[in-house]
Amino acid sequence: MATYPQRFRFGEFVGSLIWLIFWVLIIVTLVGLPLIFIVLFYIPLPPIGDEVLTPYRFLTMVVDPSRTIPIIEHLMTTDFFRVAAFPGFTYAALIAAATIFIERKFLAKMQLRVGPLYAGKVEGILQLVADGLKLIAKEIIIPSGADKPIFWAAPVAFVAVAAAVVALIPVAPGWVVADVDVGLLAIFAILGFFPLITLLFAWASNSKYPFIGGMRALHQMIAFEIPFILSALSVVILSGTLNLTEIVDSQIQSYWFIFFVPISAFVFYISSLAELERIPFDLPEAESEIVAGWLTETSGMIYGLIQLGSYVKTYALAALFVILFLGGWAGPQIFPPEVRTPLIDISPLYDQVAANATFWFTLKTFGVIMLMLLPRGISPRIRIDILLHTGWYKLIVLAFINMFVALALIYGGILGPGGLLVR
Amino acid sequence: MTSAGGFIKAIESGSKHLVMRRFTLRYPEQKLKFVGDGYQFDPKRGVGIAGYRGRHILLHDKCTGCQLCAIACEGIAEAIGMVKVDEQWKHNKKAIMPQIDYGKCVFCALCVDACPFYALFMTNDYELSSFTKEHLIYTPGQLAVKPKYQGEYEIIIDDRGATHG
Amino acid sequence: MSSLEDKFEESKKLGLQIVKESEDDRLMTLSVGPQHPGSGHFRFTIKVDGDYIVYCDPDPGYVHRGEEKMCEYRNVIQNIPHLERPVIHDSNNITYSYSLAIEELVGIEVPRRGQFIRAIASELNRQVYTLYWLAIYGIFLGHSTMFMWPMGDRELFIDLLEALTGARVTHAFNIPGGVRNDMPEGFRDRCIRQIRYFEKRMKEYEDIFYNNPLFRQRTEQVGVLSKEDAAKLGVTGSVLRASGIPYDIRKAEPYDVYNELDFKVQYMKTGDCFARSYVPLLDMRESCHIIEQLLDKIPQSGEVRAKLQPNPKGPPGEAYRRVESGRGALGYYIVSDGTPRPYRVKISVGSFRNLLALPYLLVGQRLADMPAVYWSLNYWPVEADR
Repeated sequence: MATYPQRFRFGEFVGSLIWLIFWVLIIVTLVGLPLIFIVLFYIPLPPIGDEVLTPYRFLTMVVDPSRTIPIIEHLMTTDFFRVAAFPGFTYAALIAAATIFIERKFLAKMQLRVGPLYAGKVEGILQLVADGLKLIAKEIIIPSGADKPIFWAAPVAFVAVAAAVVALIPVAPGWVVADVDVGLLAIFAILGFFPLITLLFAWASNSKYPFIGGMRALHQMIAFEIPFILSALSVVILSGTLNLTEIVDSQIQSYWFIFFVPISAFVFYISSLAELERIPFDLPEAESEIVAGWLTETSGMIYGLIQLGSYVKTYALAALFVILFLGGWAGPQIFPPEVRTPLIDISPLYDQVAANATFWFTLKTFGVIMLMLLPRGISPRIRIDILLHTGWYKLIVLAFINMFVALALIYGGILGPGGLLVR
Repeated sequence: MTSAGGFIKAIESGSKHLVMRRFTLRYPEQKLKFVGDGYQFDPKRGVGIAGYRGRHILLHDKCTGCQLCAIACEGIAEAIGMVKVDEQWKHNKKAIMPQIDYGKCVFCALCVDACPFYALFMTNDYELSSFTKEHLIYTPGQLAVKPKYQGEYEIIIDDRGATHG
Repeated sequence: MSSLEDKFEESKKLGLQIVKESEDDRLMTLSVGPQHPGSGHFRFTIKVDGDYIVYCDPDPGYVHRGEEKMCEYRNVIQNIPHLERPVIHDSNNITYSYSLAIEELVGIEVPRRGQFIRAIASELNRQVYTLYWLAIYGIFLGHSTMFMWPMGDRELFIDLLEALTGARVTHAFNIPGGVRNDMPEGFRDRCIRQIRYFEKRMKEYEDIFYNNPLFRQRTEQVGVLSKEDAAKLGVTGSVLRASGIPYDIRKAEPYDVYNELDFKVQYMKTGDCFARSYVPLLDMRESCHIIEQLLDKIPQSGEVRAKLQPNPKGPPGEAYRRVESGRGALGYYIVSDGTPRPYRVKISVGSFRNLLALPYLLVGQRLADMPAVYWSLNYWPVEADR
């Protein structure tokens, strides 16, 4: 206990409240209201139904919530919704947050302890909120010889690149932020940015241990990109297209690709563990050897951003695994064609196909994420020469084997257009 | 590959633990149970009686102010000092009794071994935190109070693992 | 492969040319200091050429508190609480050796039941220390599960020691003349129950850690200490037994009741990091058998402590006794001049002996092997600095 709380005076408390109200009123009248008027004057308001959405109409809608349904329906068709909410950043961030919490509880159960317990009434469910608030309140310490522009820019770039990978992932038919014809190739191109950002940040930290960690990260990520691409190549051969939505469609027409190319799925899984720097491949952040590797000089929100980017990347690569090998959003239809809610009628918002697709996709992604969390509980860290040996010799050979299997399946007429197993 | 066998055994072992009981003792809702009343020493036989070494308890009707506990502690932690008390006891002519500074005490109980009059024992109480260092110095009056310690949890081993229950 | 001496001479040449480092960009000096998660309270400087370590310079003394000098100002019984501070969780062994030396000097005879209880407490403490060591070894290699399981199972033994002595660590239990109190009721059944459970747990450790292919790849053929070098460097304890020399002080110079017990000395022949990490597990199994034998053979009643004068003192003389602790041979050399306070106390600890092997072993290894080799030498910094 370092500080003593000050004695409470009621008069001072009331005085501080009055000051607060005074300042709120001043800022609202002198700054807020003019801004609103400028915005409303210059920006064209969207038409809802047959009328224009004026602020008056918006306020009436707040009173009667069922009248906001058309607004939400209009919002769901805009690009902004797709980028920010679903399937874009908010969805990815929520899954990342859930992943962090589930990882801590899962590891705790495997290690016979409780994990986060006291934040929130039910087994520590608000722990992430507490962690986020703590990281925001911490001081960010920058080493004196560090290269400041890169030091500040690299974590933001990390999260931005991870979010860019998320932008290419389709969650339901038609629900993707960027439907690119060469989607898979674009993902690999974007993934190639991560070693660069890591090395830049390690170099900008101006310290010996981040330097070693950055070199290790560079070696690791670059060495595992090749088995990564080769294992995805088998899927491209089987489905004939680089567009991710069409890859899922070709799996819906035949069977899931993991039954045809299981070794490729295994190689993809190991390579994605190496790309994500998860145990057993977390040598760039090896705590007992090089303090914290390239994360040594991070503190406060910079560390928070890097963790967020790392877990968003986890979601992105797990979703990619689901799309390439586990059939994306394919699954039996379990949602009813129409839904009736008692008070507010949300049937214009409800799309049976999209709901079903989202449910199965999320379920499979969580399954793959749990599979990625499992090695953290059971294996120690690997060493750099064993890592490079495994990546260059064993995984590339395994990926090539499955590529020949995939080619045989196509040329034998089993898969592909007009094949035997295509429904 | 033999290494695949090793990995599968490791995964099996790890997954087995997902259904075992968690071992953590959730202090302060759960507190440990101690057998007995605390460490005591029998000067006639010259041997101690097993118990937990927590806070001391001073029996005012036995303490004669002989300072042997303070002399024993002088070489160890210098945590016992003798102070004057207001009480009048027949067997305590000098009217001094020990006060113990828990900021310095290492709970070794050699002062209990040194007392020849059955006056100083230790109890099960270990929750001695305070906000200031001055509050850690326990006067003879504070030392006479018998603490209330409720602890009911101990290690239980069953076929699903060990836990505190 | 040149012998160890040649390697060390060559690396010393590299280390002494500190001025030249700025011209030679290949070498990087890393300080694995006290504020490093991989070192504990100990500092050593290494010079790294790419990924290979070329020079290692240990720098002990961070926790030096002058234990030996402080012993000269306290009488024989008052020395016990502060002598157990160098290794707080193995305190029964470090005071065992002191008590044996003082008893030889003053001429005290310890009653038989007291000797048995001392041996039980010493074996329980050995388990506590070895489990702590194993947990830290797991986390040094990045295996967080192997950190949590031994720490959890250590609670079983700490619980037993708390029932026996009254404190979880720093027991202050052995004193010259015997032990301070008798066993509480129900101790024997509780002990047997928890030891049986622990033997099942050791199988799980083997499954997830020792037979894990990744762990084996990291520790086999790493940091090999051959039999001749081990004898020449003077290492002790489990490090010595892992290099093929089956030397255990409990068998070679038995003290108290150890000559009545039936146990084997566990050793392995390879001398690499894997052997050094496996021998303590085998030692723990033997300890479980020893504890069960002790609980069977203990005399049902009797004194546990010899009655002493208030300030025990003996004729002028000297005594040297040693004990097998978790780290190796722990010896006390005490010189007395006829007063209640010892004239000179010299503590010879196993950690400091094993430290001599560290510069030899680290030269030529990769940087990633540094925590594996360093902690496998069973080095406890606080004890080595006394």
